[in-house]
Amino acid sequence: MSDPTVAEGWVAAPLTRLKEDARLISGVLLYPTGRAVGQFGFSNAADVMSICALTSAINASARELGRQLDGKPFYEMHHTGSERQVFMARASAGAQEFLFVGVFDRESSLGVVEIYFAEFQKALEQLRPEKQATGKGPSGDFEGELNRSLDALFGPIGKR
Amino acid sequence: MKALGQVVATLSHVPGVVVAMVVGAVDGLIIETSPLIGVSPGAPDTRKHTAALAAYLYSKVTRASDAARLGTPAFMRLEAERGHIFVVGARDLVLVTIITPDANLGRVRLEMMNAARDKS
Repeated sequence: MSDPTVAEGWVAAPLTRLKEDARLISGVLLYPTGRAVGQFGFSNAADVMSICALTSAINASARELGRQLDGKPFYEMHHTGSERQVFMARASAGAQEFLFVGVFDRESSLGVVEIYFAEFQKALEQLRPEKQATGKGPSGDFEGELNRSLDALFGPIGKR
Repeated sequence: MKALGQVVATLSHVPGVVVAMVVGAVDGLIIETSPLIGVSPGAPDTRKHTAALAAYLYSKVTRASDAARLGTPAFMRLEAERGHIFVVGARDLVLVTIITPDANLGRVRLEMMNAARDKS
C-alpha cells in the first residue's frame, strides 16, 4: 500500500502511523468544507472527490441529527458492511476542525481503530503549525476548493 | 447462565486480578468491565486499549491455531514483565483479565474457563 499523499506536509506522519497501526485499507483527512488534506489507499482523484463531498455532507447531517435526537452533535460514526467497515470521526488541531473517514476489514476492529484514532488526534494537536494556513474557512467556492486540494494530492488534471 | 456483570464481578474478586472485562470479539469494544483494582488514582485508564488489543490479538491467535490445525484456542496467556493478560473466547465474546505477577494463575484460569463455558 502506498504512503499517504498530503496537501499539508505536517499531517503525513500522523496519517502514516494511523494507517499502519489501525491497519486501515484507505482513508481521507479533510476539512469540514470538503477540502482534502491527505489520503491513502486511493489512486483516483475522482474517488477522493466523491468521498470528500459525501463525508462533508454526512457530517453536516449527522451533527444536525445528533442535535435533534440527543441535544448534541454526533461526532463519530461507524458502519459495518459485509466485508468492510467505515469509520468516520471529527478531529481537531487547535481551533481547526478536520474530518477523517477510514475503511478497514477483518484485519482490524472498531476498538483498534478508535484507540489509534485517539492517538492520531493527539498527534495532530501536537504537530499543528503555530499559525494555521489561511483560507480554511468556507469560501463559498466548494468545487474550486475541492479541485485545488485534489491537485495538491494527485497533481493537476492531465498530469494525474 | 450468568449475567455479564456477574461474570466480571466474580472474576474481579479473585485475588490478583487487576481488571476483568467482557469484550466484543469482533469489534474489541468493552461490554462489561470491573473497576481497575490497585491502580493509583489519576493513573491513565488503559482498559479500552487493553480490551481492543487483546481481542485483536486473540483473533490472530485463533487464526494461527487454525493454520496449525489445532482448532479453536482454549486459552491465551501473555506473560509480561509486570503481570499477565489472560484471554478466553466465548463465542462472540472474549473475557480479558489483567493479573498481577504474584496472583494464583491457576485459579484465575479456572474461573475464566468456567465463565467462558457458562457463556458458550
